[in-house]
Amino acid sequence: MSRFIITSLFIAMTLCHSVFGKQVEFNQSTFDKLKQNYKDKQWLMILWSVDCPACFKELALIKKLRKSQPDLPIVIINADDSDEVANERVKVMLDYQMDDLTNYHFTDGQGDSNRFMVDSNWYGELPRSYFVEANGKFHGKSGLLKEELIKKWLNIN
Amino acid sequence: MVIGEIMKFYNSILLNISVILTLLLTYSVAAAEHNHQAMAQQKLNNKCKTSDINCAKTVTSAFAPNGDLWRLWSHKKNMYFQISVDLGKTFSLAKRVLIPAEKISSRNENRPKIAFDNFNGVYLSWAMPREKKYTADVRFSYSSDYGQTFSMPITVNNDKLLAGHSFNEINVSGDGDISIVWLDGRLSAELKKQGKSTNGSALYLAKGNIRKSGAVIETSSFSNQQLANNTCVCCRIAMDTNKQGELAIFWRHIYGDNIREFALLTLPDKNVHQQNETIPTPYQVSYDHWKINGCPHQGGGISIDEADEYHLVWFNQGDNGKGIFYASSTDQGKTLTKPLAIGKKSAQASHPHISQQGNNVDIVWTQYNGIEHQLWHQRSTDNGKSFSDSQMLTTSTTGADRPFIIKNGKVTLVSWQRPKFGHWVKVL
Repeated sequence: MSRFIITSLFIAMTLCHSVFGKQVEFNQSTFDKLKQNYKDKQWLMILWSVDCPACFKELALIKKLRKSQPDLPIVIINADDSDEVANERVKVMLDYQMDDLTNYHFTDGQGDSNRFMVDSNWYGELPRSYFVEANGKFHGKSGLLKEELIKKWLNIN
Repeated sequence: MVIGEIMKFYNSILLNISVILTLLLTYSVAAAEHNHQAMAQQKLNNKCKTSDINCAKTVTSAFAPNGDLWRLWSHKKNMYFQISVDLGKTFSLAKRVLIPAEKISSRNENRPKIAFDNFNGVYLSWAMPREKKYTADVRFSYSSDYGQTFSMPITVNNDKLLAGHSFNEINVSGDGDISIVWLDGRLSAELKKQGKSTNGSALYLAKGNIRKSGAVIETSSFSNQQLANNTCVCCRIAMDTNKQGELAIFWRHIYGDNIREFALLTLPDKNVHQQNETIPTPYQVSYDHWKINGCPHQGGGISIDEADEYHLVWFNQGDNGKGIFYASSTDQGKTLTKPLAIGKKSAQASHPHISQQGNNVDIVWTQYNGIEHQLWHQRSTDNGKSFSDSQMLTTSTTGADRPFIIKNGKVTLVSWQRPKFGHWVKVL
């Protein structure tokens, strides 16, 4: 019986993690790991803010695309460097059904540092997206992405 | 029989697993949610748990007519202020604005605003987030006794809609003529109900005079008037008054297919300005061609001199112009001097602000080098014709608010909030 409980507990914890996603502070270390994880792959990195209406349109678009392909190589990063929005950003991820993804977020008071680390030519306009080639080369684009562009980059039919 | 018993046992195990899983999952989900919220709150508490100004994300500074320097900030649904009688060397003890607690937008381009009249009147305006995302009301409170007491807050926007009303800016004349401008989403909300849409927000103006009306302060104390449609939705507005006392408003507008450029509108003499009067067409003053369907989060700055020359700064990331630019206009924005690039682009020069006084034009902005935020300053002593070399004023390693220049008579002062590091003020 105890084996059943332990097994059940493990499964429940695993499910629990998947329900709320993993909240990870975005810093040099996590950014490096992220790039390592997607090494030799073509992927998309999207940065958003709770203060940016266009960002929510982009999240809605990603939500739509993930319905048919949940395992798309997309990384979502919240660019609000404020602990005040901690609960809000978790709720947004739940609302947009992205709670299964690792939820990266900027560190309180370190917004400019985090931004500079990603791209010293990015001034904070949002949404900001990076099309990352398999060789690790980043191509930044500001503003709401068009669905066709995302589909083309991620080879979605 | 044996097989039946085995199946029965197996089913019973499956049922047990299901029950245990359901119970554990329910408990774990609730616990995880609670833990996450508690951890997030604890983290916030650990980092900054007081109403001390150092914890504020934004600070608004302004001179009262008597030369006192006020600074205003918010913390957990309350606003606080301090007064300095020695140009920011020392400040009085922090005092809470004595009004009921309510949500106050105070992040990035949004923050409470403060203004004064010549009769000890203190005027506050802020945006109060509502229950739905991207909705807020523009709020107002008035003190007739120099901050000892404040009136019950009222909502300035008169549409009673759950819509966006924020990025408020306030201007008050010596006689107490109040002008509040903000970005308004009422049209967008109404069109949405009809299945239609509009791009961006609208620029709205509310006018009133609490002193002259003498009536109870309420929403009807203010007129509401649309000045422009299709404004950018997330950049602060700047305004100043010209020699005739006319209001000049400078904001980021949406032209064509999401081209975000700056627009300038000077309203006719405020004393004869009527609700039904035709609003002049705003002048487009930047042509940097920044096409973005998103949020630049960078408003501009305006300062008008005694000869009615308008001095402007803005930031763009367009195909034709990237970075901070300064230009001036002697015809209210119809024509401009050739925009002059300010700051170091490679060091993320952004968030400029400007003030003109005498023959001086002062511009401040922030830069970031990957390690520290820097506050930079450049001065022209020939009214904007040429500028001296830029100078770094101070730094911050814990984040940075937008810098602002305020003036009182011949005194020009820069105010820069550095969250968790300290509010920095200096006479230029």
